[in-house]
This record gives sequence, structure tokens and C-alpha cells, in this order.
Amino acid sequence: MLSAGSNTAINSSSEGSWVSPTSVPASRKRIQREMSELNVDPPPYCSAGPKGDNLYNWIATIIGPPGTPYEQGIFFLDINFPFDYPFQPPKVSFKTRIYHCNVDDTGNLSLDILEGSWSPALTIAKVLLAIQSIFTNPNPYKSQMPGIAHLYLSDKAKHDEVAAQWTLRFAR
Amino acid sequence: MVSDSITSGSIPSAAIAKDFAKKKRANRSAKLKQCKLDARREQWLSRGKDKGPREDWEPGHRHGRGSDQSLDNLGMNRSRDDDNDGSVHQYSDSESQSNSPTGTMGVLGGNHSVSKCTRSSTTSSTFSCGSSMGCCSGSTTEVEEGDDGLLDDWEAVADALAANDEPPQNPPLGNVSENENAVDPHSKGQLPSESENPGVEHVGHVHVSAPTSNRAWRPDDAFRPPGLPNLSKQCSLPINSCHCGNGAILWAHIPSAPSSCPICYEDLDKTDSSFLPCLCGFRLCLFCHKRILEEDGRCPGCRQPYRSDTVEADPSLPGGGPTLRLARSYSME
Repeated sequence: MLSAGSNTAINSSSEGSWVSPTSVPASRKRIQREMSELNVDPPPYCSAGPKGDNLYNWIATIIGPPGTPYEQGIFFLDINFPFDYPFQPPKVSFKTRIYHCNVDDTGNLSLDILEGSWSPALTIAKVLLAIQSIFTNPNPYKSQMPGIAHLYLSDKAKHDEVAAQWTLRFAR
Repeated sequence: MVSDSITSGSIPSAAIAKDFAKKKRANRSAKLKQCKLDARREQWLSRGKDKGPREDWEPGHRHGRGSDQSLDNLGMNRSRDDDNDGSVHQYSDSESQSNSPTGTMGVLGGNHSVSKCTRSSTTSSTFSCGSSMGCCSGSTTEVEEGDDGLLDDWEAVADALAANDEPPQNPPLGNVSENENAVDPHSKGQLPSESENPGVEHVGHVHVSAPTSNRAWRPDDAFRPPGLPNLSKQCSLPINSCHCGNGAILWAHIPSAPSSCPICYEDLDKTDSSFLPCLCGFRLCLFCHKRILEEDGRCPGCRQPYRSDTVEADPSLPGGGPTLRLARSYSME
């Protein structure tokens, strides 16, 4: 079932541009390699791995870094690898609700390296570290949630209080 | 460059050196510059040798207002020399240039060099090596204008210009900067004037030569002030060599080829591992490189677009050698 799904995806993506038939093993090998490296040496406060049998569908957890209103919260994230990974960025979304100006209601997060600044040299470990860094340093100037960004800029103490409440409520 | 000038330094007369330079100019303009530099140094050396009788010679070579002015300046200079040892030597040296056998040193030369000296004696601090000479010719003319009657203003002008000036008491820096700088004013001041208007040549020549002579002390010069630091320090100041050095370092620091492609984790074969598509040193296999070129075409390592020239050279590489050499040449630019 998995292989069938991936094959159709490859066929559709191979139209028009050069995609070698080894593309599936290429992304597969890369993801497997990233998985083993994450198991050997996971970034601090992070873990990630395939959700089930599907190698292209991962679940990751990030523990809220100390010193932030997200401290001790456990945030689950979905990671979906495109079949032309790593040439295209993985799709990452929060499964746990979070009060953060860069994460919208549905959990989509705005992160430059997951969009235009993606580089094939980046790995999931680096992506998780980048997500951790926006826990510490939200970017209110490129926010998904203008209200939260405004509160963050105008009254950071209030913002942190609400975020801590949300963390306590949704992420524990 | 330096070694060249040293080997030809045995020619005593600058006139000979000029002929020498003219022959060279017929060959290449690049060589010409170097020969001019040599000639400069030769004049320099010969000046040092002629230093003995300079006190007698000196006023005879000047005439009219110029000598008076310069003598005034000399007085100022001497009074100021008390607290500045190096400038005394500088002064005597630049004076001696007016009786050097080159014949290119005119009235202005003597005058100018004195004023320059005084000015530099007021300068005591550091300077920027690169920009110094470019402004030398301009600044000297200004000073001469100031000499016309405004001795009071002269100091102000000198102070204002002092920021751009090099204190000649610092021979290691001065020597190095001479290598770089002497070329430019020559090509500007002397070369065109020689070809077009020989009368102008003296002025241009003097303007250029005087500041140069203010700064370089040969290590074997008998009149070199003993207080000056050793010239061997010159080697430790890698102004010229740092360029090459940087390049070498840059390329020496490129990490050795990884065993597998960081994009697809496939093993790199010999072709892949000698393939260096980007100046940042990020290596990847040819498949991934081709794939990236078809999409956004940016290097995964530095996110800069791959240079098309480097990319075009890709197919021609049996072992990646041509690409590497090409890239290196670009890095040196």
C-alpha cells in the first residue's frame, strides 16, 4: 500500500522535469539515514521518527525550552516528506495547539527554511532546532497570527502569560 | 617585485634606469611600472650616497621664492624636529634628493619634499596604507599652493592633510605600501606626461617621487636611522601576499570530499568527489547537482546561485580538475 502510493506520487512528479527512477530510493535512503542519525544523536529537547510504516510521514516532539512560556510543554508535530525530498522542503505542522505568533490555528507554521530558504543540505534535525529557536525568539514581523504578534510587541508579559496558560492547557 | 628591484639596484644613475625603463615599456606596460619602481629605488639609493655634500649644494639648486619658502619651512621643520627623531632623517634625505643625479628633481621637488617632511613630522600616528599614495599627488600640490604666500595656513592645510599622510618613520609599512602605491601615481603622473608633454614630466615626476623617497629606507642604507625597526618585519606584514595567502587558505580549508553525498547519502565516486561546483566548497554528487540546477539552481551549502561558468565546465571534467582550476581563478579575482 505504501509502495503503491509512493509510486503514483513519483509518476506525477516526474512529468516535465528530469526525475530519475531512482528518485524514490534516493529520498528513501536519505530519510532512513536521517532517521538513524536522529536516533543516534537527537537534538536537545527533540525527537522524531516515522509515525507508522510510512517512512514519509513522521511525527516529532519538541519540548518547550526552559526560560520560555512554552517550558515543559510537549509539542507534537507532523512531518510529511515530499517524494522529491530533500530537493523540496518537508511539510511541518503543529499537532499540539500553541499560542505563538508564527503558528496559525491549524498548526501551520511560518518558517523561512521551510519555504523559500530551504536547502537540500538541511535535515530534519536542523529543522527541529529552527522550530525550537522560534519558541525562544518569535518573529512577530512575519507572523501567522497578527493578534498574537501585536500582543507580543506591545505587552510581552501578557503574551507570555497567555502562552504559558496555553502550554499548561494543551501541551501537558 | 621586491627582488627585482634589489637586483637592479646596483645601477647608480637614474638616467640609465630611465632608459632601461623605456626599453621595458616597449615590451609591456606592466613591466614598465615595475621598472619605474626600480628607478625610484635607484634614485633613492643614489640620493643616500650623495648625502654628504648636500648642505653646500642645496641652495644653489633652488632659486627665487621656492628656496626662500623652503628655507622657511626648514626652519619650522628643524624646530619641530626636536621631539621627532625620525623626521630629521627624513628631512635630510628628502633634501638630498634635489642634488641627486637624476635631474628630474626640480625646484618644486625640493620645496615639496621639505614641506612634506614638515607635515609628516606633525603627523605622529598611524595611517592607512592603501589610500595614502593615491592622495599624495593631490595633497602635495595643495601644499605647494599653500606655500605661495600663506605660511600661516600652511600648517592648517598640513594638519588637514595629515590624516591622509603617512608618517615616514614607519619603514616596514612604508615600504610595503610603496610597492603597491608607486605604481599608480607613476602611471597617472609620469607616463602620460612623458609621452605628451615632456615639460610637465618634471612636475609629475617630482610629485610622485618625493613622497616615495620619504618613506623607503633600504636595509643596507648607510644613512638609515638606527632607531627604525628592522625591515625584516616587512615580511610579517602580508599586504601583498595576503591576497594569495587568503586564496591558499581558502582552498586549503575546503573540507576534504565527504564519502557520501550530503543530499542523497549515496557514496561519492571518484568523479563526484573531485567535483566542486561551488566556491563555498560544498560538495555533492553529480546527480543531485543536476537536479538542483533544474530547480532553483542554488548551492545547498551557501544558497548562492551556482555560477553558470562553473557549471558549464562540468561536463568537460574527467576528474574535476578543470572545474577546480576554473573556480580557483575566479576566487583570486
